[in-house]
Amino acid sequence: MNATPVKELTYNQAITELEGILRLMQSDDCDIDRLAALTRRATELIAECRCRLVATDEELRAILADLEK
Amino acid sequence: MDNKSLSLLELTRLVASLVQCPETQNVWVTAELSDVAVRGGHCYMELLQKDERGLQVAKARGVIWASNFPRIDAEFFAATGQRFATGLKVMLRVSVSIHSVYGFSLVVTAVNPEYTMGDLLRRRREILNRLKQEGILELNRQLQWPAVPQRIAVISAPGAAGYGDFINQLYHNPARLRFVTRLYPAMMQGTGAPQSIIAALEQISADTESFMWDGVVIIRGGGATSDLQAFEDYELAANVAQFPLPVAIGIGHERDITVLDWVANKRLKTPTAVAEWLITTGENALGFLISVGNRILQLASERLTGNKEQLAHAESLLPVAARNAVERSQSRLLNAAANLSGVSARRLHPQLTRLDMTLQAISTAAANRIARQRTRIDNAATLLEALSPMATLRRGYSITRVNGHAVTSVNDLAPDTIMETTLADGTITSKISETKKSNLQ
Repeated sequence: MNATPVKELTYNQAITELEGILRLMQSDDCDIDRLAALTRRATELIAECRCRLVATDEELRAILADLEK
Repeated sequence: MDNKSLSLLELTRLVASLVQCPETQNVWVTAELSDVAVRGGHCYMELLQKDERGLQVAKARGVIWASNFPRIDAEFFAATGQRFATGLKVMLRVSVSIHSVYGFSLVVTAVNPEYTMGDLLRRRREILNRLKQEGILELNRQLQWPAVPQRIAVISAPGAAGYGDFINQLYHNPARLRFVTRLYPAMMQGTGAPQSIIAALEQISADTESFMWDGVVIIRGGGATSDLQAFEDYELAANVAQFPLPVAIGIGHERDITVLDWVANKRLKTPTAVAEWLITTGENALGFLISVGNRILQLASERLTGNKEQLAHAESLLPVAARNAVERSQSRLLNAAANLSGVSARRLHPQLTRLDMTLQAISTAAANRIARQRTRIDNAATLLEALSPMATLRRGYSITRVNGHAVTSVNDLAPDTIMETTLADGTITSKISETKKSNLQ
């Protein structure tokens, strides 16, 4: 499996990999041995993508504070 | 020379009376607008005529009195989506007025918006045709936004309501989507607007490497003094068309589109609509992530369940299978044994028979041999008996020895020789008195 750390992927690369995993898991040649690894990787990718999309409370406060200036 | 003279007022009144004849009243005139200003409800403007090279060949002051202006303004705006503004070509119904203080002016009493519309359309068509001929009309529209545009360079007038709305909307989105924006201030109306916007675009282009912008947003809040002429500009359109990042436009107009809307990648009505579009794109991406997550969870658990069931099935089969296997092996063994005894019986029997026969033959042969040997021995014994000296001796023969040697010829004997004669039952020692050779031999 592509072992590139999720932080180093672009959003599009992450989404593409995610779709690949989805396809693999939907196909019949998904090895049960890899199931846990695939699921873990998918979870990491999703978490990273979410993290890129969504700002934390502190970030939001900082941005809005900047706007008030 | 008659030194009777007119006062200035008399002269201007005379001019006025000469000029303000029916031919100069309520005539339709075409002109280009410039320096439009509304003061005290009245609208003042300069009316221009230019030649092909853009040089002014005629100029007059125009005014729409406050009693007429709201009606004319509304009518014009309703038809063209424009307010009176510099650069617009207009057809106005005017009356020439000569005022003793304010001089020559044209009092506007009506407007024909169709003329302006026609002119705007013609000018827009010219710009669009030129962009098309240069092969750049579609360039920006062919660019792709990233899956989720989050880093946005904003061109707007600083402090404009539209900019505030945009930023508020963007940063208060309920999904808490992360956006990074930077304002590139520009004049959004007036004749300087195109150059100002172009300068902002150049600044964005220079910053793209460090800020990694996903795209550009050009926004302007819709105000009462909307002046879209700024966006009907070839230079600006050409810059936007060839800009390397996708450009979204929200310049606050509902009813009409400008050249800029034709070349920009994304055309939205208002700044808030641009913000909504960005947020929706992000929300869709989040929704996609959630659905992928759920799908993967579902697939993983389906796979696990399937495999567990398979395993359970195998588990339940296992004891029976083992028992069956043992039983099968046993029966096979029994069969084999049975087969083997059959086979051995078939194979052994002839062998045993042969063996039996051989044994018999051997014993017969041995018995025969023994019998023959016995006969031979008997014969031999008989012969031996016959040949034995004892038997000969018993039959009357005797052996004569001299000095232990058997005597077979008279030639070996001499008189007075002591000889020993052996008979069957003893020996005789005698002395030879005479020898006589017989002729029997």
